[in-house]
Amino acid sequence: MANLRDIKQRIVSVQSTSQITRTMEMVATAKIKKAQEKIESARPYSFAMMEVLGNVARYVQGATHPLLEEHEERKRVLIVTITSDRGLCGAFNSNILRITEDLIRSERAAGVETDVVAVGKKAIGYLRYRGIEPTAAYRDISDKPTFAEARSIASLIIPRYSAEELDAAYIVFNRFKNVAEQKPETYQLLPIEHAVVEADEEGSGMQAEYLFEPSAGEVLEHLLPTYVETLVYRALMESAAAEQGARRTAMKSATDNASEMITTLTRSYNRARQAAITTEIAEIVGGAAALEEE
Amino acid sequence: MARTLLCEIVTPEKIVYTNEVEMVVAPTLDGEVGILPLHAPLVTVLRAGELRVRYNDNKDVEWFAVSGGYLQVYQDKVIVLADAAEHASRVDIDRARQAKERAQQRMAEIKAKPLMEREDMTECEEDLKWCDIQLRVAERSS
Repeated sequence: MANLRDIKQRIVSVQSTSQITRTMEMVATAKIKKAQEKIESARPYSFAMMEVLGNVARYVQGATHPLLEEHEERKRVLIVTITSDRGLCGAFNSNILRITEDLIRSERAAGVETDVVAVGKKAIGYLRYRGIEPTAAYRDISDKPTFAEARSIASLIIPRYSAEELDAAYIVFNRFKNVAEQKPETYQLLPIEHAVVEADEEGSGMQAEYLFEPSAGEVLEHLLPTYVETLVYRALMESAAAEQGARRTAMKSATDNASEMITTLTRSYNRARQAAITTEIAEIVGGAAALEEE
Repeated sequence: MARTLLCEIVTPEKIVYTNEVEMVVAPTLDGEVGILPLHAPLVTVLRAGELRVRYNDNKDVEWFAVSGGYLQVYQDKVIVLADAAEHASRVDIDRARQAKERAQQRMAEIKAKPLMEREDMTECEEDLKWCDIQLRVAERSS
């Protein structure tokens, strides 16, 4: 039977841990809401963006643009991997990093070189440890990503793709499905899939004649890079919300485990205390009996 | 009541403005365009500049700083997709001034370098321009 003081100490330590996890759970819950609102407020822009893109694309049939073109050879691909800056969020980061590593491995096996852009301290640390030096690293943005950051990430990719230094670009991130669920996803950034610019062919029956200034081609030229930026921005925001969701779930189960542990520890503490008392009484009774016999 | 059009100014981060207006004047790559109700469907690229809307029998004007983007007109609805946009009254003048000074300093540093090393020049120029636009817009509305 463990001694009383040891058990007491463990109870205290588990209690203070559970206090921390409970607080973190509450903080995460509050942050999820904010992050969700941010996703919501970005929605009008992406919808309007898709609409404009669809309109333009109809006018530039068989559009050719460097960002739409698939390169014949596949020599070098770039992967943007989005993780969090902080830990204690369950499998949030390890899922993303596993997918990233699988992707790198399979590309390498096919003789394709890979560049990695790491977002979040966790990705930077993990990749460096494995001897993969990220081409670019972003930290401290997982909490509140801004469009400027998304743009800066996109600017690492777009010119290099146009210059044929890159032959594809992917982004790996956690999609925020709902408060309790995150889904790691890989999305192709470049080349832009043709489906995007050829969307809603059927609904094209009653189109208005659009005017374009300067010209449809030129509008498209401006629009496509912005589209990529929007995709990156969206991924950053989804990941930010998903991170808080994952943390909340992880912290909730940690708190639950802690209280369960406290219950069992308290039980064995009481048992130990009872045993000690019983022993003591037995000793006294035994002592008294020994005295009487004399 | 004059015929109006719905004007929406959205950025990736938020909806900046949405209102029924009588005229939208926006800075496009080839100069300003004025959009009145019943305008033909149009898609155009905006450059960084000042955008204004008029309403209430053209008596009231509101100014916005926009940092480039797109504009679509369709059936009396104007959607402005801006990378960044700020309503004149929301411009933080002090901050814009400070940002401008910083940008000017950076510009001076860049200009001190030899021609080949002036990589950040365009970016810096853009920052400077954005500050100027914000300040100008703020001035106009005050």
